[in-house]
Amino acid sequence: MAEIQVIQRDGSERSIDAPAGEPLMEALRDEDTGVEGTCGGTCSCGTCHVYVDPAWQHRVGAQGEDEEMMLEALAEFVEIRPGSRLACQICMSDELHGLKVEIAPPVE
Amino acid sequence: MSVIDLKLLQETKNLERCPFPIPSGWFFVDYSRNLAPGEVRNVFLLDQEWVLFRGEGEDGKPGLTDPYCPHLGAHLGHGGKVVGDNIRCTFHHWEYDPGGWCKKIPYAKIMPPVCKKKPVLRTLPLVEKWGMIWVWYHAQGEAPQWELPSIPEMESDDYVEPREGHWDVNTAIQEVAENGVDFAHIKFLHGEAEIPEAEYSFKDHEYFVSMRGGYIKGHQCGPGLAIYRFHHEDVVATMVSYSVPYTREESKMNMSFTHLKYEEGTKQAMIAKHLVDHAIGEAEGEEGAGFESVDFIVWNNKKYRPNPLLCDGDGPILQYRKWFKQFYPGMEDSDKI
Repeated sequence: MAEIQVIQRDGSERSIDAPAGEPLMEALRDEDTGVEGTCGGTCSCGTCHVYVDPAWQHRVGAQGEDEEMMLEALAEFVEIRPGSRLACQICMSDELHGLKVEIAPPVE
Repeated sequence: MSVIDLKLLQETKNLERCPFPIPSGWFFVDYSRNLAPGEVRNVFLLDQEWVLFRGEGEDGKPGLTDPYCPHLGAHLGHGGKVVGDNIRCTFHHWEYDPGGWCKKIPYAKIMPPVCKKKPVLRTLPLVEKWGMIWVWYHAQGEAPQWELPSIPEMESDDYVEPREGHWDVNTAIQEVAENGVDFAHIKFLHGEAEIPEAEYSFKDHEYFVSMRGGYIKGHQCGPGLAIYRFHHEDVVATMVSYSVPYTREESKMNMSFTHLKYEEGTKQAMIAKHLVDHAIGEAEGEEGAGFESVDFIVWNNKKYRPNPLLCDGDGPILQYRKWFKQFYPGMEDSDKI
């Protein structure tokens, strides 16, 4: 279990517990942070877009090809930052205790 | 060193009629003329159901797809509709082209990346040739490993419109084609005067056979296509045989017979007709019988012996089986086939 800091879309901050071994998306979805995770974690829907805090960007693993493609596609709708990631592609571990992410705006 | 295992030979209860999986190769689906632009049809072949469709317009391309939509599993052949080049699922109107690429999701703002990278709907590689629709089936979904050959008789206006025949047979296509190398049965089952002399060679996915000094020349090309040419004097009749497995134990034999356009009433025209009649059934004034009248009783009732008792004078049955085994990828070590 890792405790993470989440900046929600309304700007409020809270901390939630994210079980190790599961995608970050699951915890964000289950804690009603605004992340939908519609596709279940297969890089197909883009509804778990988050901005990873600069201090953590190099610690959350690399992007895969599908994730890159999804982020490129998302760029037409929302702001993409260097820390843009799909939370379903970040696997939680105890080493990520303290991770800070901001929930990106939804695609509308 | 081994000798015949008599116990194994006599224990037939556990023998299977058709221990083979569906072989890999090119297979006939239907005649192009039977699939209209915009048509959707469910077909059963290769041991599963498929959806056959053709895009709209004169140049509409056909596709043979797995029935179940990759989205939420609706059956594309029940309520599915052709829209332009694509088949559209009735459930949420996702559209797929004949290659299985998802071309449209009417409500998604972002196409899932996988849809941009790969076909998401399973389809079989398909070609239209000789007025027929052919698909490539591979047990592990691999791309075509050879091309369909050229058959000049099916590609030129100098030949008569093929006479077509179709027969249901209750066995696997390996068993049907095995008769092509079983030279002894031609005398005893078909009643020809002699066991034909034959030369043969197996190479890659093909084998070639020549019987009675070239009177019959055969070319088997993969499991689903064979071309036999019957020669008499200066006349050649061509039989194109394209069997398709329906299930593991039921197959459809399909054949097209053609020859050069000879003027009606000429000796050549008569010889050509006779050669075709002879290949199919009992031709007038002949002792020998074509496959229609005699082979089915054997095919429909036999069991496959992986370890048969063979004698001198039998044809290259075991070489044929070894050759055929290449069409069962993943079964290389099986002793059942």
